[in-house]
Amino acid sequence: MHTLTINGHSTTVPDGATVLDAARGLGIRIPTLCHREGHEPFTSCMLCVVEDRGTGRIIPSCSARAVDGMEIETDSPAVRDARKVALELLLSDHEGDCEAPCTRICPAHLNIPLMLRQIIAGAYREALVTTKETIPFPAVLGRICPAPCEKGCRRAQHDDAVPICILKRFVGDHGLSAEPYLPPCAPASGKRVAIIGAGPAGLSAAFYLQQLGHACTVFDRAGEPGGALRSAIPGERLPRAVLDGEIGIVRLLGAAFRMNTALGRDVAIDHLRSEFDAVVIAIGAIVDADTSFLKLGMAKGGIKAQVHTHETSERGVFACGDAVHANRMAVRAVAAGRATAASVGQFLSGGAVTGLHTRFDSMLGRLREGEMAQFLEGARPGPGLHVPSDRPEELGEADARAQAERCLHCDCRKPEECALRNYAGEYDAKQRRYAGAARRQVEIVRQHASVVYEPGKCIKCGLCVTITEQAREELGLTFVGRGFDVRVAAPFSEPLSRALARTADECVAACPTGALAHSGAAPRQPAA
Amino acid sequence: MNGDTTTSAPHCHAEIDAIVARIGRGPHCVIPVLQAIQERYHYLPEAALRRVAQVSEIRLADMMGVSTFYTQFRHEPAGRHTIKVCVGTACHVKGAERVTEAVRRYLGIPEGQDTDKAGLFTVTTVACLGCCTLAPAVQIDDVTYGHLAPGTVGAMVHDFLAEQERRKKGAAARASLPHGAQAGEIRIGQGSCCVAGGSYNVRVVLEDTVRESRVPVNIKMVGCVGMCHQTPLVEVVDKGGASTLYAKVTPKEARRIVSRHFKPRNPLSRLSHAVTAGLEKLLTDETWTPVERYSIDARDAPVCSFLGPQKHIAAEHCGQLDPLDLDDYISRDGYVALRNVLEAGDPAGVVEAITHSGLRGRGGAGFPTGSKWAAVRAAAGTRRFIVMNGDEGDPGAFMDRMLLESYPYRVLEGITIAAYAVGAHEGVLYIRAEYPLAVQRIRAAIAHLEERGLLGADVMGSGFPLALRVMEGAGAFVCGEETALLASIEGRRGMPRHRPPFPAEKGLFNTPTLINNVETYACVPWILRHGPRAFAALGTQASTGTKVFSLTGKVLRGGLIEVPMGVTIRQIVEEIGGGVAEGRTFKAVQIGGPSGGCIPERASDLPIDFEELTEAGAIMGSGGLVVLDDTDCMVDVSRYFLKFTQEQSCGKCTFCRIGTKRMLEVLDRFCEGTARMDDIGELEHLARVVKQGSLCGLGKTAPNPVLSTLRYFRDEYEAHVHGRCPAKKCKALIEYVITDDCIGCTKCAQRCPVDAIPMKPYERHVINTTICTQCDTCRQICPVQAVKIVDKGEGT
Repeated sequence: MHTLTINGHSTTVPDGATVLDAARGLGIRIPTLCHREGHEPFTSCMLCVVEDRGTGRIIPSCSARAVDGMEIETDSPAVRDARKVALELLLSDHEGDCEAPCTRICPAHLNIPLMLRQIIAGAYREALVTTKETIPFPAVLGRICPAPCEKGCRRAQHDDAVPICILKRFVGDHGLSAEPYLPPCAPASGKRVAIIGAGPAGLSAAFYLQQLGHACTVFDRAGEPGGALRSAIPGERLPRAVLDGEIGIVRLLGAAFRMNTALGRDVAIDHLRSEFDAVVIAIGAIVDADTSFLKLGMAKGGIKAQVHTHETSERGVFACGDAVHANRMAVRAVAAGRATAASVGQFLSGGAVTGLHTRFDSMLGRLREGEMAQFLEGARPGPGLHVPSDRPEELGEADARAQAERCLHCDCRKPEECALRNYAGEYDAKQRRYAGAARRQVEIVRQHASVVYEPGKCIKCGLCVTITEQAREELGLTFVGRGFDVRVAAPFSEPLSRALARTADECVAACPTGALAHSGAAPRQPAA
Repeated sequence: MNGDTTTSAPHCHAEIDAIVARIGRGPHCVIPVLQAIQERYHYLPEAALRRVAQVSEIRLADMMGVSTFYTQFRHEPAGRHTIKVCVGTACHVKGAERVTEAVRRYLGIPEGQDTDKAGLFTVTTVACLGCCTLAPAVQIDDVTYGHLAPGTVGAMVHDFLAEQERRKKGAAARASLPHGAQAGEIRIGQGSCCVAGGSYNVRVVLEDTVRESRVPVNIKMVGCVGMCHQTPLVEVVDKGGASTLYAKVTPKEARRIVSRHFKPRNPLSRLSHAVTAGLEKLLTDETWTPVERYSIDARDAPVCSFLGPQKHIAAEHCGQLDPLDLDDYISRDGYVALRNVLEAGDPAGVVEAITHSGLRGRGGAGFPTGSKWAAVRAAAGTRRFIVMNGDEGDPGAFMDRMLLESYPYRVLEGITIAAYAVGAHEGVLYIRAEYPLAVQRIRAAIAHLEERGLLGADVMGSGFPLALRVMEGAGAFVCGEETALLASIEGRRGMPRHRPPFPAEKGLFNTPTLINNVETYACVPWILRHGPRAFAALGTQASTGTKVFSLTGKVLRGGLIEVPMGVTIRQIVEEIGGGVAEGRTFKAVQIGGPSGGCIPERASDLPIDFEELTEAGAIMGSGGLVVLDDTDCMVDVSRYFLKFTQEQSCGKCTFCRIGTKRMLEVLDRFCEGTARMDDIGELEHLARVVKQGSLCGLGKTAPNPVLSTLRYFRDEYEAHVHGRCPAKKCKALIEYVITDDCIGCTKCAQRCPVDAIPMKPYERHVINTTICTQCDTCRQICPVQAVKIVDKGEGT
């Protein structure tokens, strides 16, 4: 038996136990990538390093034995620095996108590839759910959005972009034609939020705050909600039934509307601040020279607000949309409304206001010669559909599916499970810190019925190699080469289907990144 | 060397089956099996490996993993001859890169390929041939050429091909040598440096001459004398015992040496000597380097100072022992130590003696040898292994090679004593494949010892059994790390693991294993014969005894030296090595190879001592000591070593696999003049994390060359940021110009391999810098030193 201390806590472990075992016994979490219960430690990722106070050394806890009298620190500055560097080194050699370029460029951050795969599967309801995660009004935006996403679509470099905006409209219209989808709402918090302005920003804020359990009252000087969507866009471009239909969902979620009520004229900001727990100013572009009625700090062109949290100079007052910075793009207003809702939620729960949580996002960047072919191999060939955006009825189900099938699946197949991504976020790792002189060629190996292998995402942890070896796979996987150029492959370029004859699922589950993943026939919903 | 390379399946199957039957079917046989296949086909044909998988327990995946790990193995057919350009440290600082380019250019090998069109030559680089004093060196098959320059590679290739022809013709049997040694003895160095320096041809001529003249002279092959800068060395000892040492002997001169010292008994040959001399000249005249003959008397000052501060323990009887003559070894106290130990029957006492001697591992880290032996002795279980680490891979180091080649019996005696002390009955001597002579001699020595009962089932009739075998490495520097070396013996990729458990507890095939370096074992017989106190009396308090160094680089007298610990670096460089060349200034020494660091001239009064060196940012390492002068760029040196370790990284842990790569990329930017000032800090931080966090010794020490140069030569990094290479070494930051001193002799224009200098007789020549490859040929050929290297942009 060995008695040691970890972060000051004493523990006794049997002979042969590792420092990692001892730490886990104490409930102390140590990050690992290459470790797997039941395997001999391989000690490659080095993320599990801890500090041995006695020697001053940084040691890998997965294979360092716990020894009597050890004093271990699992979270010292040196340890955190070493882990961060390890992650940054791994990320410098990680050829892949966590999120697709289209998602990244979409102001609302819509999970476009997932929506497309759901369309392919005919799972329109699921596609609607995906859309409403970030865009409450897909049928509306599907008609008026300038679709920056399509400019980011990698497919456009080959032939035409996937017509994402029309497909989103397709999903939104499906939602309007069926039983309305009401996202689940948290139990009522008892908190009340005043939202000034029933335009895209204010409505979006209301949509997401209601889901958090906060009771919203939306004020607007106009007679009907919609803001610029109603006042500035002609009905033939945006049919009123569509607009009313999607706004109706906000109402169904429980938001109250007080129309014909203008801030400063019919209701004073001080009054709202005393009556409500929080106030969101989403009054659209500020045209009046006199903004004194807002009683807020002003910046050039709009209300001064924190970029990320949307907090104004006054506590409990938030501002978003064109009222902060006029840009006339509805999707940005919608995105701002959602981000503001997150901040207001944090404020109301008494926590630190940090704004919408953004996850680590590995970026591949521009494709190089020959790489497009790797992506195209998994997508349907053929050009895009040039459907005028005002004639949605022309995009039938078959066309929608065919267009969705043109998606290159640039996004990672394991965006949620990927431990590398999750730790990168946790340690605030910067992918470009140790950017290499040249990146590796992207390779997407699709030689298996249900598994896709992307060597560029492999961190050489060796788990799959060990799994195939232990399972006595006839071929199995092996390390090929040495040093920086080492890669995991089947011997003599045998197909993956033969190398992973029996262990495909086990390898996919064990792989800590998106290197080995299911090819994704069944669309899955991201975890909340 | 090349035979039939056909791989048609049935033909191949029979041969593969025979190889497997001969070597073994088990998974641990994979490396020897692959080596045998490669020896047969000169590469690893896929069909052959698939056959192995069918007829053995070796998985295809493992063959793939192992064969792509070790650089020895090829998966593509090779040319008939292999040209290995040594890129060891000494060769690097003396222009190996230019030689490589020149060889490729001469053979017309396009970018991205390694074999010429005719399939005659495959050109590769080799980490170190261990012939550092001949730098820059090239090996073609088994022939080594030294002191090359871009302008002489053509002559080298011609000489090699001519040599091949000569060998075919000269295979005829030779008459036996006259017996008896009454008239005296002629000793010829047979270390790799001597062999590479041409001692084989010298020996042939000496033997022929002696045979013709019928003088009863004993021609004796002796091990390395250490004076590798003077190879080949011939020592003549006459009847009265007077010795004359000849250095840099050519075959032509060998004949004269014999006739000078010994009168021919055959009067006819006296007469014919004068006649044949002319013809002889044609056959043996050196085609590229006119070599002068030096007769050095051991009393001459330079020899005295070269040998003076030295103390030979591991290299005892240096230059006097015939490496494979067991009786010779025994006649000089060989096997006295083992006999005493076996007779005393006190293995624990042996461990105690080693502990008291203060001996520390000579492989690099300096772990106390006695403690290691005690740990193995105390380990649980009855089966124990003994392993010799002879995987000396540091560029610029060749101590182990010399000890194995020159003193195989001493090393084996040390191993036998150690095995007895720890209770091991099986052992493996792991020797890198780049040392064929060492492998050959150790194998022969083991066979002789077994014949004589000094090794085998019953060592010296004591009842103690010890079976030793040799395993050849396959080209992976990381296998010098003990856990990687053990993995390699077990037939796996040479990837290290975390320690503890140390091999003493869990080593080869998970049994307790003693693993020591060649030099460590070589010290053992001396310690036991003279007593631990005599050893401990040498050196410093914490670092006792002697240490063998290979002294190379910009030093006048390079070679293999053995000095007591505690002597200063300055003593080694200036007294033993004779300092740097006339007109140059001593800048730094690089100690410990890619794991070590650079100690500047101003700190060179540092004594040789494990702790002192570590404190100064270097390490003892295995003992490579490369002297650098003012023409060496420290950023370039640091990049050179990092490039080496980066290429040798096994690729297992993140810090080493990617960290060294990124560090190297930053250093590349310095050498190209594109680095920014904040790169210095980022490089230093990354270097520290890699040093701290890497899994094994390779990664933990890889940043040392970078950190030590950042510590002592930071100004040079800063200069590079400003686009200037103070030593005028980094190609991207310099250019060649011809000054007004040019006399228009056209020599440079004639020799320029890329026609960058238009020929203008009697006019000042001009170098077209856009074409110039900076091969340095013009500067070397210019009779008036009119070719200068200047900062880029300065010349135009």
